[in-house]
Amino acid sequence: MTECELRFSPSSSTDTGAFKLLELPADLCKLVESSADLATPARFTIKGATDEDAVLCTADKTYTVRSVVLSNSILVVTSDPSTSHTEDDDEPVQEIFIRDQLNEVIELVPSVPRLHKLNSLLRGREYDEGHEDEDMVSESDDEVTKKRQKFTYEDAQGAIQASDAELDKGLRDRRVLILNGELRPIARSHLTTILELILTNLVSLSLPHAAAPIATLLSALEDEHDIRRAVSRQVLKWFGRVDEYRGTWEMDVDAVIREVGLGLLRAYRDEPTYDGAFLAQWRKAVGDTFEDKVSLTLLSGNYLVSIDSLSEPPKTLLAYFPSSELPVDPWARFAELFLARPRWKIEEIAPFLADISVDAKERDKLLLKHARAVTDPDGIWYTARAKYNG
Amino acid sequence: MLIDINIDLPGPSSTRRQLPPQLVQFGTEELVLIELQGALEVEGNKDGQLVGKLRVDPNTKKPTMMIGHHLLEGKLVNLAKPLAVLQKHDSTPGAGEEDEAAMAVEDGYSPRTTMQARSWDIIAMVKKKMVFSKRPMPVVGTGSGKTSNAAPLSRIGSKAG
Repeated sequence: MTECELRFSPSSSTDTGAFKLLELPADLCKLVESSADLATPARFTIKGATDEDAVLCTADKTYTVRSVVLSNSILVVTSDPSTSHTEDDDEPVQEIFIRDQLNEVIELVPSVPRLHKLNSLLRGREYDEGHEDEDMVSESDDEVTKKRQKFTYEDAQGAIQASDAELDKGLRDRRVLILNGELRPIARSHLTTILELILTNLVSLSLPHAAAPIATLLSALEDEHDIRRAVSRQVLKWFGRVDEYRGTWEMDVDAVIREVGLGLLRAYRDEPTYDGAFLAQWRKAVGDTFEDKVSLTLLSGNYLVSIDSLSEPPKTLLAYFPSSELPVDPWARFAELFLARPRWKIEEIAPFLADISVDAKERDKLLLKHARAVTDPDGIWYTARAKYNG
Repeated sequence: MLIDINIDLPGPSSTRRQLPPQLVQFGTEELVLIELQGALEVEGNKDGQLVGKLRVDPNTKKPTMMIGHHLLEGKLVNLAKPLAVLQKHDSTPGAGEEDEAAMAVEDGYSPRTTMQARSWDIIAMVKKKMVFSKRPMPVVGTGSGKTSNAAPLSRIGSKAG
């Protein structure tokens, strides 16, 4: 039998519009094909509010969704959808059915996760010292709960156009706690306090920082300093590796020291401090065990250096200047950087461009476009490209 | 708004009916994509109506399609990127329960509650298609009685643009 009859679907009204074609990049294609054998196959989710461009998320990647209109039409053809089991070999003619007629294909383009919305959604939800007892308050008083609507992890999954893995990383990078399912960014000063307490407890209880027993640490923090277990457990996860099986915590030394240093530096936003004094304060905060790990390079991209020429001999001043608070748009960022200081050495400006360029090549491209290189006996300086106000 | 896309590819135990064997080489075992220059335009109820006859030459593997008195010649085209065919998830009883459960979870504050949640299934992964890219050739006198009866019902629309 080489001939078959092509017919319209017997239920064309329900079939029309019920099919779509999705063009898959190679990696997604593999994922789909391999998951056919799995007990729990992969799932994709299309996310986006009505005013946003839709994205498709896998477990760990985000793709922009685009509709491409075709000038030809594509027929989706299957065998008879209504009589599914009656195999009849005596059928004189085989029939196949047009289920739908399509004029567009959905294309997927890899995209960065759109996490910036998280910042505004989490504003005003900080978890700070003194919030330890709020659960009891909100339970007894309904008005308090009504005032502040909960923003849960599930809400974030719905509102943020990113895959679950990317969302988790975004929440971790922003130091957001999940308490009773609610997302609460931890107040930075409180985080510094907790980390300092962890450091002092490691010493006073003489626990090894590469394999500290979690239970001991958590109860010490709870009993003596009223830090809730749910909070300190998540903090431990951010700053090290938790071994659930053995119940131990391996501290990420650099990350902890960096965060403690940032906490101290934050006080010097408007009034710079001498670098010697700052380093001494920092060493004291992290304690004897870790003081030799303290280094300003850990804080690169977060401070500005200036020279106090009035003192004798001239001393170096540090001021808090975090790149994370600078604009994302390159033009605005350079404007802000040259406002902070008129000229920069390459090694000074590089840390402030790291998060808007993927590599050194792209960073140099940005410098070429937005800055002017000036050579003098001290080396190459970058200055603003044009003076916009005359 | 969230729209779930589940993978529902036919496995070995599939209950879906397979296509005639000569068509399988143009798509998958259950589904084939046929590309036409222009579109099929029909007036009135088209449910189950005959469009034309599709023939695959057993030797050359060339597909031809007779629509009324028009003969179309097609060919096999491999797709540069595979296409997933999505089908809207129909509201079978099982699916209905799932939707209710999803709504219950979303109870309370959520930007999603006002939107209607819908899901789609990936029912096939297609890497080939059958393309009829040429203009139809008029054929006189060869149409059998059956085909010519259905002829006025459907016609190939002229290519847009």
